[in-house]
Amino acid sequence: MQHAAYWITISHLQRWTNAKINDLIKKIYIDNGANLESFFSLSENDWREDYSLDDNQVLSLREAKEQVPNNAFLAESLLHQGYELIPLTSEEYPPTMKENLKMSYSPPLLYVKGNKQLLMEDSIAIVGSRNASANGMKFTENVAKHATEKYQVVVSGFAKGIDRAALDFAMQYTGQSIIVLPQGITTFASGFKTYYKHIVRGDLLVLSAFHPHAPWSVGLAMARNPIIYGLAKNIYVADSSNTGGTWEGVQDGLRKCRAIYIRKTDLGEESANNELIALGGVAVDLHGNQLSSDEIENAANEQKEILEDLADNIVELLAEKMLTAKEICASLDTEMSYQRMSILLKNIDDVEKVKVGKSTKYRVKDLDIFDLRLG
Amino acid sequence: MGEMTRHEAEEILRKRFKINSFYDEQWEAISRILRGERILLIQKTGFGKSLCYQFPAICFEHLTIVFSPLIALMRDQISSLQALGIAAKSIHSGQSIEENLQAIEEAKQGLLKILYIAPERQENSTWRDEIKNMKISMVAIDEAHCISQWGHDFRPSYRRIINLVQQLPKYLPILATTATATKQVEEDIASQMSGELTIIRGNLLRDNFKLYVVEVESDDEKLMWLAHNVPRLEGTGIIYTGTISDTETINRWFEHLQIPSMAYSGKLKSENRVEIEEGLINNTWKCVISTNALGMGIDKPDIRFIIHTQFPQSPVHYYQEIGRAGRDGKPTVIILLYNPEDRDLPEYFIENAKPSKNLYQIIINSIQNDLLGQLELMKKNNMNQTQVRVICGDLLEQNIIREVYFENRRKYEFILNSEPFDHSFYEKVKEAKRKELDAMMDYAETTNARMEYLCKHLGDSSDREFTNCDNTNLPKHYYRPNDHWENELRKFRQEDFPILTVESKKSNIINGVAGSYYGATNVGDVIHKCKYENGGNFPNSLLQLLLKAFNANFRKMKFDLILYVPPTVSGDLVRNLAERVSNTLRIPISHDLVKIRKTSAQKMLHNQYLKRDNVENVFSLKDPQIVNGKKILLIDDIYGSGATIKEIGKFLTEHGAELIVPIVLAKTVGSDKL
Repeated sequence: MQHAAYWITISHLQRWTNAKINDLIKKIYIDNGANLESFFSLSENDWREDYSLDDNQVLSLREAKEQVPNNAFLAESLLHQGYELIPLTSEEYPPTMKENLKMSYSPPLLYVKGNKQLLMEDSIAIVGSRNASANGMKFTENVAKHATEKYQVVVSGFAKGIDRAALDFAMQYTGQSIIVLPQGITTFASGFKTYYKHIVRGDLLVLSAFHPHAPWSVGLAMARNPIIYGLAKNIYVADSSNTGGTWEGVQDGLRKCRAIYIRKTDLGEESANNELIALGGVAVDLHGNQLSSDEIENAANEQKEILEDLADNIVELLAEKMLTAKEICASLDTEMSYQRMSILLKNIDDVEKVKVGKSTKYRVKDLDIFDLRLG
Repeated sequence: MGEMTRHEAEEILRKRFKINSFYDEQWEAISRILRGERILLIQKTGFGKSLCYQFPAICFEHLTIVFSPLIALMRDQISSLQALGIAAKSIHSGQSIEENLQAIEEAKQGLLKILYIAPERQENSTWRDEIKNMKISMVAIDEAHCISQWGHDFRPSYRRIINLVQQLPKYLPILATTATATKQVEEDIASQMSGELTIIRGNLLRDNFKLYVVEVESDDEKLMWLAHNVPRLEGTGIIYTGTISDTETINRWFEHLQIPSMAYSGKLKSENRVEIEEGLINNTWKCVISTNALGMGIDKPDIRFIIHTQFPQSPVHYYQEIGRAGRDGKPTVIILLYNPEDRDLPEYFIENAKPSKNLYQIIINSIQNDLLGQLELMKKNNMNQTQVRVICGDLLEQNIIREVYFENRRKYEFILNSEPFDHSFYEKVKEAKRKELDAMMDYAETTNARMEYLCKHLGDSSDREFTNCDNTNLPKHYYRPNDHWENELRKFRQEDFPILTVESKKSNIINGVAGSYYGATNVGDVIHKCKYENGGNFPNSLLQLLLKAFNANFRKMKFDLILYVPPTVSGDLVRNLAERVSNTLRIPISHDLVKIRKTSAQKMLHNQYLKRDNVENVFSLKDPQIVNGKKILLIDDIYGSGATIKEIGKFLTEHGAELIVPIVLAKTVGSDKL
């Protein structure tokens, strides 16, 4: 791997977003036909003029440049231990990631160990909460098994619960998998020990987009989720509560117009899956099969009716006075959590939010319309 | 930094290093380094190669990291730098963890100018984590010939330095130095370092060396020649032998003749090695008798003579080994005792440098199935340490496996999609080594100037007149038969018995003695016939030999009891021998030492761990009370690794034995060998 030390240096620039780093890389390689080595040999003036960088950017690049020899030591050590570096400009960089995350979100450098070919294969991710339900686990097994039969790679975030189960089922059914780490790749020693045989057989790739020495953190765990979504062509949701990584991740995916397959939960399951379906996810059954149009329609109608009823009741309630989401839940005597209520409220056209002191209250937007409806 | 003139530099040189001026070739290297270039500097020992990185190091703003394989050399350099007030430290396994952490800390704070580290340090996780906090101006690589497989001292850890060099930014200056590189090695280093590299090669002539070759026809002639000539040589020197057992034999011979000497080899404990090195520096003995383990990195300017009793594998080895002498520039005598029949030994090393092909495949299969370390591979496959180390080294080299670390423990990992093992490369290396061995013999047999031969062979083609050898202006020396020395040697042989080194702090066993070496005399054949060809009990001659060895060493000791090692396969031979010893010496014998489980023959196990496991807790006494407070003579036929004898010593100590002395018929030479 050429210029590894430079790639490490530029990929972890302090206070630079991926979008900014990728933009600079594009200017160096594509616009100027240059490379990182020659870029770092330029004077600061050239940086300013040829690359229109501002003082702050030049300052951080100057600091970074001092780290290049040190990063050479790091690069040697990584390569010696069998880690490989895949920069954005490489042919080995996963096309799925570029397609999904574009230049704005794609990590400029990937650290991997294992079978790199897996990055080129058709892939799915199975995501879900750390506290998986029995149905969620069954779903994960079904979908993972089915994926291995279709030679699809299962992308896993290696978190407790569904993520870990997705990986283990894929291995159990002699499929292939990519682990996306919420930490630097050198801090995964025990995992490399556990999955040694799978790696040697070519069934597994371990991938991290973070600094090789970075320890696990909540921040990195959250930052890892878009990478999972980036690496998978299709995303299956086994279990989601209405907070946390899965919940946020799916909504983020939906906003980016990804097709996300969500297990439709039975009545009585403590889960927010159906809400995600309502927000635009594709409903699937326990085997990951899309529900037939009738079923979807029925389900959708059912859901729609319930929600419409609820919306009507809420509007009626709010006509009398402004209330908080919590108060609405209490008044309607529903078991719905007030966070879920807030989301529902956002989607009712007739209702608007007002800040009263420290609390957020809701009221009916336009009394005229209310009057008309009454009439 | 603006360009520095030679005049300005020499001003700094006088102030900081107390040296008046640079040699032209030094300045050439230094000025290029100051300009940020990459240099390979090939210069003979004593040229002042270190100054070529030490001087730029004090001119640069940040740290210079120096890779050096020799702890002794690091120590010497650091103490002389510190004496000059230059902030230099080192990190290596010979220092305490605290000392190493202190050096790292100072480097991080920018307090150091020079930091010496061993190449292996790249494997250490603390070092890997901390290096990112150091600001680096330059990298220097000492003993750069270790990079090349074609060199005489290839070291796998240097491969990592090459990988590092390939990653370093091209504006960072790098200096690689060596005293010995043939043209082939030079080209190999240059191609591996890649990028723009300037090679500066100096001449290799050592004009204070007086080179002689003395032809002899046997090992006895060598011993007698040494007896006659070593005391007549001026000053202190080194005698290089081919094997560890030769160092011991010559040392005992000198002891017999009362010539002050010490035997040195890589198998000594490090504190003993340091003691002998210091004694050599302080001229405590006339000479140190050593394998080629001694010398690299010993900072003694006045080694006055070097004698080889066995010619080395190549002229490069020879030049490197004699290069340690006469660094003060004063006349120094270099002698090779040459017997063409000695070719067997270096040839054996060349032919057997690599284990057989199928062993490579066995190791590959093991590693493919499991993440394993060296020890696990030895145990799992019943191979010795050297075999596993060599195989893993080659598999690493061919990118079939790699080293990974778990909690600082080394494991080997199979590399996905790697090419199958290719044995043919080593055939090429072997062929090259055979040619080098021929060249070494040509050196002994040439009629031209000997220094000219060496210089040319090492790639120094500068045109000069060469003298100072027995082919030019110095007299020839010969071995001359001499009754006096022949008598002495006979006397010595009669008293010379191999020592069994088994002592340890936790056991009351002391070093014992053997009647003979197993392979060296006909004793081995006689024992073999009795043991494996139904030749009957050991003949009386062997008993007499054993008693002689006993008398020479332990005649004055009183023993309470004789025990013998219970057999694995060969019936009652040892029991019979022990009974005859008991009758002659009138010491009571007990037959109660037994094995409580079946063991394998130790010689079938190829490493010390399996041998130890094989005999661990296997011995028992019917009535342990019989050894309590007793002095015991322990008898066996053949001594190999010593694991059995040591285990019995431990067992008897646990049951209160006061002293255990082992005596055996014969000791094998070099047990844990390839």
